[in-house]
Amino acid sequence: MAELTPKERVLRLLRKEPIDTMPFFSGMGMVVMPGIEKSGYNFPTVHTDAERMAWSAIWSARLMNFDCVVIPYDMTMESEAMGNTISLYADSEDILYPTIPNKIWSTLDEVEIPDKIWEKGRLPILADAIKIIKENAPELAIGCWQLGPFTQAGQVLELDLMLKGIFKQKEKVENILDKISDMIIDIGKWLQASGCDYITLREPGVAADLLSPKTFKNFIQPRLTRILAGWESPKLLHICGKTEPLLAMMSECGADGLTVDIKCDVKKGREILGPDVLFMGNIDTYTMTCDEKTPKDKAIEHIKGMIDGGIDAVMPGCDLWPAIIEENMKACVDTTHEYGKNPSPAVGRL
Amino acid sequence: MASKEELIEKLKEGVVEYEEDTVNEASQQWLDDGHEALEGIMEGLAAGMEIVGDLYDKQEYFVPEVLMCADALYGGLDILRPHVPEKEGGPKAQVVIGSIQGDVHDIGKNLVKMMFDVAGWDVHDLGRDVPLENFVSEQLKTDSEVVAMSAMMTTTMLGMKKVIKMIKDKNPDVAIMLGGAPVTKDVANLFGADGYAESAGNAVSEGIKMIGRLREYQKKD
Ligand code: B12
Repeated sequence: MAELTPKERVLRLLRKEPIDTMPFFSGMGMVVMPGIEKSGYNFPTVHTDAERMAWSAIWSARLMNFDCVVIPYDMTMESEAMGNTISLYADSEDILYPTIPNKIWSTLDEVEIPDKIWEKGRLPILADAIKIIKENAPELAIGCWQLGPFTQAGQVLELDLMLKGIFKQKEKVENILDKISDMIIDIGKWLQASGCDYITLREPGVAADLLSPKTFKNFIQPRLTRILAGWESPKLLHICGKTEPLLAMMSECGADGLTVDIKCDVKKGREILGPDVLFMGNIDTYTMTCDEKTPKDKAIEHIKGMIDGGIDAVMPGCDLWPAIIEENMKACVDTTHEYGKNPSPAVGRL
Repeated sequence: MASKEELIEKLKEGVVEYEEDTVNEASQQWLDDGHEALEGIMEGLAAGMEIVGDLYDKQEYFVPEVLMCADALYGGLDILRPHVPEKEGGPKAQVVIGSIQGDVHDIGKNLVKMMFDVAGWDVHDLGRDVPLENFVSEQLKTDSEVVAMSAMMTTTMLGMKKVIKMIKDKNPDVAIMLGGAPVTKDVANLFGADGYAESAGNAVSEGIKMIGRLREYQKKD
């Protein structure tokens, strides 16, 4: 049995074709400090330059044995391209992701999305970075992502406005969600045309810790469905937080696979979804990979537990926090590759 | 004319049903009828918010509803608060509050702030993504008894430890309170904070207890 390259492994899994062993990959950020250091840069500078982004991604994957790279790392690119200024925290010693300190728009009426937004701000870097990665690390699968419309609206407006607007300004909220959904479809298509291998729609701001399942059904699900229909396969859907009440609806949105975080019990999740849905998750990205108090063995148990629980691939439940404990991180990846040799519910083995 | 009990009901219900107009009218009526403002705040608005907290815990309400209830409450508070005589407002205290650097999560922080507002504290809200030094300088400037910090990410949480050290070095008498989803009582202890509250509901009582504890401690010295 020939061993697959990481990219083949991921792409075959996403098509539910038999593979050699379970991949360790993600739909969200996979950049880690050892990779950033090996590429010779510091954290605040990897967000603004294609070479730096590409090489920090490649080295993160190579050093840790990830099956993929994922770009971008931060959530502010689109909002910045719409005219907002970001904080990069260039002087901070801590790892801080770029944020939007103040938003130019303060009401639901102002949102306007520029034409060809992928040509604006830092977005063009992504196409260049994909090219560099393809040339230099053709063995790795390249993942890109887009925020879902509700979470993206929270990057463009105060989230309060959207949350309250659901009840008080329903039409305006729907209108903004539609406009942003159009943008997400367009950027996703552009990323796919630029050569990314799979794309993830991540909508962390809508789980049952924040919105009711009813609101999800009425406001969010139809838009996620429309966005996913606008993209080519392979395409994934990720929601953070309490997702058990949403899983059945998530599986109707048209994604090729679903991913969840630590708040979802994967065993229960698998019961809800049945054996055929490609279902991935859900490493606790702080306790298992960053907390010095967590012994390596506990991280290994964590991975085995989720494989036994019925996932098809091990994924971090969120962006990996870059300040990993290398030993634990590697143990997570190695355990996935070693313990994942048997078929999973939705994917067979070669 | 509505009786006192009816007005209290209206204030409560108005908050629970997030009807800003009802709350505003009932608050004005309350004052016009000559009732004590503080009683209206505590038995009406705050009692309403307590019910909202229960509904949230039971997952009948979600965050959007809670935010709208908070708006209704603030409407009433703006009308009633100016009529609370200084000394009646309980232990008049000041708090500096904010979400720590790198953290733009502020929904929870704003709810905690609301509880301090209800309780009549002077609240100095630094907003979110607050540079660490700003907590220190604002505390010194306002001489606040309490500094309350919110972190929603395990990683930004670490900044709070630095702030605690910076504040305690300059001014050991300040009571520091932490909160936010990844923060636990153990973490708060470990970082050297004086208090912790799991939710907005008990933030204020924890604040008062903290000040009490510090005062006793100082007396012993
Ligand atoms: C809404 C949200 C956002 C919004 C924030 C909008 C805003 N204006 O606040 C947006 C979309 C911008 C966002 C962005 C991000 N988020 Co976010 N977000 C959430 C979410 C879904 C809900 C938080 C919330 O508002 N809850 C509702 C309020 C009412 O509850 P609360 O905040 O816990 O507050 C209560 C208590 O904690 C307490 N409390 C809070 N503060 C204080 C302070 C004091 C002094 C006291 C006494 C008490 C107290 O009282 C409050 C009321 O009872 C959570 C998931 C979750 N379920 O928590 C993730 C979450 C917090 N986000 C997370 C992450 C990682 C991010 C991002 C890095 C991107 C990402 N990968 O998702 C960015 C980073 C942004 C940044 N730099 O800060 C993670 C954090 C993981 C971790 N443990 O480190 C979470 C847990 C999601 C997850 N499972 O991955 N997010």
